[in-house]
Amino acid sequence: MALPNPAAAKVPTGYKYGWHDPEMKSLHVMKKGLSREVVEEISRIKGEPQWMTDLRLKAYRHFEARPMPTWGGDMSQIDFQDIFYYVTATDKAVSSWDDVPDYIRRTYDRLGIPEAEKKYLAGVGGQYDSEVVYHNIRADLEKLGVIFLGTDEGLAKYPEIFKEYFGTVIPANDNKLAALNTAVWSGGSFIYVPKGVHVELPLQAYFRINTENMGQFERTLIIADEGSSVHYVEGCTAPAYTTASLHSAVVEIIVKKGARVRYTTIQNWSHNVYNLVTKRAVAYEDAVMEWVDGNLGSRLTMKYPSIYLLGERAHGEVLSIAFAGSDQHQDAGGKVIHAAPNTTSLITSKSISQGTGRTSYRGLIKVYPGCHGSKSTVRCDALILSDEARSDTYPYMEIDEDDVTIGHEATVSKVGSEQLFYLMSRGMNEAEASAMIVNGFIEPIVKELPMEYAVEMNRLIQLQMEGAVG
Amino acid sequence: MPVQAAAALDAATLDHVSRGEPAWLVALRADWWRRVEANPWPTPAQEEWKRTSLDDLPRDGGLLLDPPMATYDLDPALAARGVIFSDLATAVREHGELVRAHLGRNDTIAAQMPFWGRSLAGWTGGSFLYVPAGVAVDGPLVARTSLPAGAYTYLPHSLVVLEQDASATLLEEISSPDGHAVWFGGTADVQVGYGARLRYANLQRLGDGVWRIGAQRVEVGQDANVTTLNAEIGSGISKVGMDLRMTGKGGTSRLLGLLAAGNAQRIDFNSCQDLLGSHTTSDLLYLSALYDASHASFYGVTRVRPEAKQTSSYQECRNLLLSPKAGAEPIPVLEIETNDILRCGHGATAGHIDPIQRFYAQSRGLSAEAAERMIVRGFFERVVAQIDSEPIKARILDALAPRIGQTDEMAA
Repeated sequence: MALPNPAAAKVPTGYKYGWHDPEMKSLHVMKKGLSREVVEEISRIKGEPQWMTDLRLKAYRHFEARPMPTWGGDMSQIDFQDIFYYVTATDKAVSSWDDVPDYIRRTYDRLGIPEAEKKYLAGVGGQYDSEVVYHNIRADLEKLGVIFLGTDEGLAKYPEIFKEYFGTVIPANDNKLAALNTAVWSGGSFIYVPKGVHVELPLQAYFRINTENMGQFERTLIIADEGSSVHYVEGCTAPAYTTASLHSAVVEIIVKKGARVRYTTIQNWSHNVYNLVTKRAVAYEDAVMEWVDGNLGSRLTMKYPSIYLLGERAHGEVLSIAFAGSDQHQDAGGKVIHAAPNTTSLITSKSISQGTGRTSYRGLIKVYPGCHGSKSTVRCDALILSDEARSDTYPYMEIDEDDVTIGHEATVSKVGSEQLFYLMSRGMNEAEASAMIVNGFIEPIVKELPMEYAVEMNRLIQLQMEGAVG
Repeated sequence: MPVQAAAALDAATLDHVSRGEPAWLVALRADWWRRVEANPWPTPAQEEWKRTSLDDLPRDGGLLLDPPMATYDLDPALAARGVIFSDLATAVREHGELVRAHLGRNDTIAAQMPFWGRSLAGWTGGSFLYVPAGVAVDGPLVARTSLPAGAYTYLPHSLVVLEQDASATLLEEISSPDGHAVWFGGTADVQVGYGARLRYANLQRLGDGVWRIGAQRVEVGQDANVTTLNAEIGSGISKVGMDLRMTGKGGTSRLLGLLAAGNAQRIDFNSCQDLLGSHTTSDLLYLSALYDASHASFYGVTRVRPEAKQTSSYQECRNLLLSPKAGAEPIPVLEIETNDILRCGHGATAGHIDPIQRFYAQSRGLSAEAAERMIVRGFFERVVAQIDSEPIKARILDALAPRIGQTDEMAA
């Protein structure tokens, strides 16, 4: 049954990322819905080893057995039998830009990928529907032994590394949506950085949902071996469709002794997407893990990037921006589990709600007994732009050790009328003035983004503000 | 005097309790008991009950039928002006219609309803304070209750009513001997009228076997000003819920807490600051000093309703962990449904004593213990300084003395 989507009616006709390429033909399109047979079929098409098929089926049983979460946002409109679980646009991944089919290149051109590549990209793993269609990894990275592949390809080419780490950070039975992802995952990135290797340029990948009602269940696995470093960037825009769509990714990151990983996401899903993502990293001795997470768009986002600090002196940071417009709910935040002595963490959250939008910060700081010398600071600021918008803060803290310093602070505010008056007296209209104030509010996080993302972020805020004021 | 207790908390016991009471009260108790039976027992699925399990609550002790020793001192001059200050049963006998107008009229937040209802059905003690319109009570009113030894259930209900422009300061102090498994389910319904001013302190010095499962409901009328203080020092398990309703326009409230816990004590506090009226102000400050293997949980919600414009609120929960086995879970929650706010925020911390402070104090010749006591005293000072009644302040400092020493320790 097709679900009515009230958000779709509000998508402006000129919505820049809301196009759909009519020439696109999906080669493998399974029927809608989820069953044991669909899970087995996905694994069969991919030609996977038996252990992965078994893991998928085990995860499917977990998915079936577990109830839907009752906290967070309203997920009652998701019909798991009304979703495509596997679609591919091309048969196999291609390695050079010239080999990418024309209609897919047109789509990417509108996202600006080739230009971005010229400037910054170390490699491009763009995900069009569920399969990786384009992969280009710079020769010097290959020489260093860095693996940057689509996750399916990673499983085929490096089965030992894959089996050693896959599902170890987020097990198949972790939560209902992670179980779903484990059962039907397709695509995503697989990255291995060998000992002592520093990847200087950010690795980037774009994800899009391009088939109506298609759930996208990408699975990313990043392993930074001892003393290495890597920055992975993921950006999303999705076409505006008229029925509900589900994005349920799983990202697992292993940061070994002395290594450093930064994972940056900017998401701008169209307003009918349910974005329910499980992201978790483990950080060992002296390791540093940073999540930079920007959530715009979607109907409902529930995403709490988490870090398990397992080795002494490990450090974790979560920087989060959420923007909720009318009929949107951004339920985002971060979790840090201090499970070793002298570990430190910092969570900074900035959220903005507009129209009838709702932002929620939901987070957890947990310090286990014996983790002396741990320090954590959580800082949440919320800006409410309209009278009907709403902002919530749910910061959980469980401290079972005395030799610690743990702090949480939150503020909620509105755009000050004096600030607006000042800017408007300088000749700005209300939308421009509000956008400038909002940009100033999120500046501490935007400055951490790679340059082209920072530009995009500021532009997206501006677009959101137009039509919001006056 | 031996404890006279009924077999269990049930309809037959309630019949016994209401014997000889006026018909309206018999009906009121029966009505609340029906609601208790219709309401489910708390489950860990409720956010407020996630951190305290009621599995080991001593439920076998019968209901304490005779109210325990309690003292209520009231200046006859105030009594002549209409101030009523007594135990609730006496107030029912002597001022039935007045009590009837205010008792058992209010619901509270869902998580507290099971205990709120039990207390309104099964109360056998509790205080009653009524201050008529325009009457100012200067000195503090003190209600002191000493519970007997033994294993029993005691569910007192206190009712505090301040009419328009009245003012009063009230201390309720409760104590009991160590070593007895008691379920103490005291509740309080505080109704503060237009322009009235109330200072309400609770000093809890129950024995180490006591489960204190309490609920407080405070309604702040237009332009009223209320400060509450919960000083939690005793009991084995303490779970107190505060339901604060800022209903009247322009009301002001301060919710203060001082928690000093040791051994295996568990103190769990939940609050809901519901800002319903515009131009209201509500600040909360809870400070816990946690020794030995004690544990403090705090779950507090600030809710600003869409129609509550121009409000100002802050919630602050600080925990000083004084032993490697002590633990804290401070969870301050905001649910803000309007953008027209003056100020809104919260802060929560948990940590040990700054070693530099400790070093400084010791370098001045204090022993490690004296240095710690002094630092904890300084930590509590932010709340203590806000107690504007000297006799109440002295009483609370005296109760804290085993932890923070006497205030004149430095001079000695």
